[in-house]
Amino acid sequence: MEPTNSKLVSTKKLTNEAVEWAYPQGKYPILLAYGFRPFFLLTPIYLTISILLWGLFWSGLLPLSFLENPLEWHLYEMLFGVTSAMMIGFILTAIPELYEGEKPIVGNTLLGLISLWVLGRVSFWFMDWLGVYMVAITNIPLIIWVVFLVAKPILQDPLKRQLSLAILFLVISAMQIWFFVAKIGWLASEPMAILKASVGVFMVLVLLAARRINMEAVNHWLEQNKIDDSYMARPPRYNVAILSVALYTIIEFLYPNNSALSWLAFAVMAAVLNTLNDFFLDEDPVFIRPFIWPLFTMLVMMSLGYGLIGWDYLVPEVYAINHFRHLLTLGSLGMAYFMVLVIVSHLHTGRDFIPSNWIGFGALLILVATILRGIAIPFVGNIASWGYMLSSILWVLPFIGFLIIYGKWLQQPRADGLPG
Amino acid sequence: MNAFINIIKDFPRYLWSGWGAIASLFLFLALWDLGNQFNGSLVLPSPQETFIALWQMLHTVEIWTDVAITVERSLWGFVISVVLGGGLGVLAGSFATASIMSRPIITVMMGVPPIAWIILALLWFGVSDGSIIFTLVVASFPIVFVGALQGTRTLEGDLNDMSNSFKTPLLMRLTDVYFPHVFSYIFPASISALGMSWKVVVMSELLASTPTGIGASLAVARSHFDSPVAMALVLIMVIFLLLIEYVFLEPIKREVEQWRN
Repeated sequence: MEPTNSKLVSTKKLTNEAVEWAYPQGKYPILLAYGFRPFFLLTPIYLTISILLWGLFWSGLLPLSFLENPLEWHLYEMLFGVTSAMMIGFILTAIPELYEGEKPIVGNTLLGLISLWVLGRVSFWFMDWLGVYMVAITNIPLIIWVVFLVAKPILQDPLKRQLSLAILFLVISAMQIWFFVAKIGWLASEPMAILKASVGVFMVLVLLAARRINMEAVNHWLEQNKIDDSYMARPPRYNVAILSVALYTIIEFLYPNNSALSWLAFAVMAAVLNTLNDFFLDEDPVFIRPFIWPLFTMLVMMSLGYGLIGWDYLVPEVYAINHFRHLLTLGSLGMAYFMVLVIVSHLHTGRDFIPSNWIGFGALLILVATILRGIAIPFVGNIASWGYMLSSILWVLPFIGFLIIYGKWLQQPRADGLPG
Repeated sequence: MNAFINIIKDFPRYLWSGWGAIASLFLFLALWDLGNQFNGSLVLPSPQETFIALWQMLHTVEIWTDVAITVERSLWGFVISVVLGGGLGVLAGSFATASIMSRPIITVMMGVPPIAWIILALLWFGVSDGSIIFTLVVASFPIVFVGALQGTRTLEGDLNDMSNSFKTPLLMRLTDVYFPHVFSYIFPASISALGMSWKVVVMSELLASTPTGIGASLAVARSHFDSPVAMALVLIMVIFLLLIEYVFLEPIKREVEQWRN
């Protein structure tokens, strides 16, 4: 049972403005003292192992013989294993900050959530032995549980500011259920097609998260450098991008290889490039600044990915959509993981966010790995054999670096002595 | 000069802001593609077929000659409309009697559809560039005229009194008081007039059966049942209008109208 009493403590947001939030009374192990701690510690470890295994398998160096369908495993685990954990860590940390007086999820509840996540991962690895029903039972409840935990403040907010995120979580959960229903055979849908459609849903997640993170991060930088300007992520721009992604994803699922898909993919490309307009401020070229350029690049890669996919539909001889999709996943999602991990781990362990060269280098590695995997491999002959492995290694390096540098912060009390 | 430098400085950012419009246009292309899938290429060629036809067409000399001729006719019509409409509009706007008298005539002119004007012009002047340019002028001139008239009528008397009491030189009064205000009316009206003359020129070429111009090429495409070429020609017209309006005129408009904010 969680204690019901709470005390108000003062802490700092990214914008350095003091806010009050409630923290449940009692003593909790540090790893269970705030939502991001367990999730942000385990996810990079899991992601590193999975991607290295995948790289070894794809390069032909290691057979994943215990998996009947390794490609399905790769897609599912990267989306519903890794990305779900990231978004859960993010939302559990964001909600108490966004809604004053809202207590963070800590202690036993958090332990339950992270245990369910671990159980879900283990079960999926051994799906061929455990059976689909067992895996579905361990996988499906997690996101629904999280939505249930955060629903109250979101629904009580008269402006319903975070409602889109909550709805998206439910859509992600629905995609997950749909995948299992198809896998069991109750529906005729192709499980792989559902996973590909899920990439589109996760791109919407990146856009929704980017809108929030960019506002905080860019304005923080402007304030820190005393530049008299402000960044505003204009909702209509993001809405057009989200609408385009949704249309593309639905048509791709219902009518794969339809010629209209090329124009829809180009529409996404243009709509995402349009969101970059927000970065072009009068007073400063913020988009080239440390730790802001990765956020900018995250959107550029999404746009480039959809642009190349559109080109592929237009010129079928290219035949590299599955390669180009990596610009969305490794590139855009990967950059989002990395930046969320780094920013949240700074601020919520009670440290001021100061850009370091290391963050830039990590982001650069993700960029290089993405270009190698998504663009160089399909176009440059004879590099596939080592290209897969090299891009996997380059891509996981920033996350290994994160574990080395920030791993200990996640296991230590806050630097400013506050609870959480 | 400063205004020009500002336009150039803001130009890259202005161009980038076009991605939103491009996204909408791509969504429209997707809809067009669906239309093709339902109706077949004879009725509605796909965007891809149209772009291929356009690409092939751009490699011929004829199309460039046709475009040049159509642009020339349309520009003549446009320039005459702006000079005539702007001049007469300002003049009529300066006198209450003239503006009251000219209004009904302009309403009549605007009420006559351009298609009727081209028939009259063909009867009066025969098949010639003159008929086409005449049609363009009568169709576009009233738009500029009304803009200029309204701009002149709405000049603020207070500002005039103030410049009188400060004994502002006439030149300064013209450039700093009258011009920005009147221009902010004439300019948007001119953009509408340009759109009008661009549309009417092709129609006139087609109806007048001239041997040259985009309208003439359209007539040929129609007689050959060549839908991709017809669509490609439509696309050329649209692209030209978009380029002129959004790449050249809109940045100027933004700069000139900045005083309104």
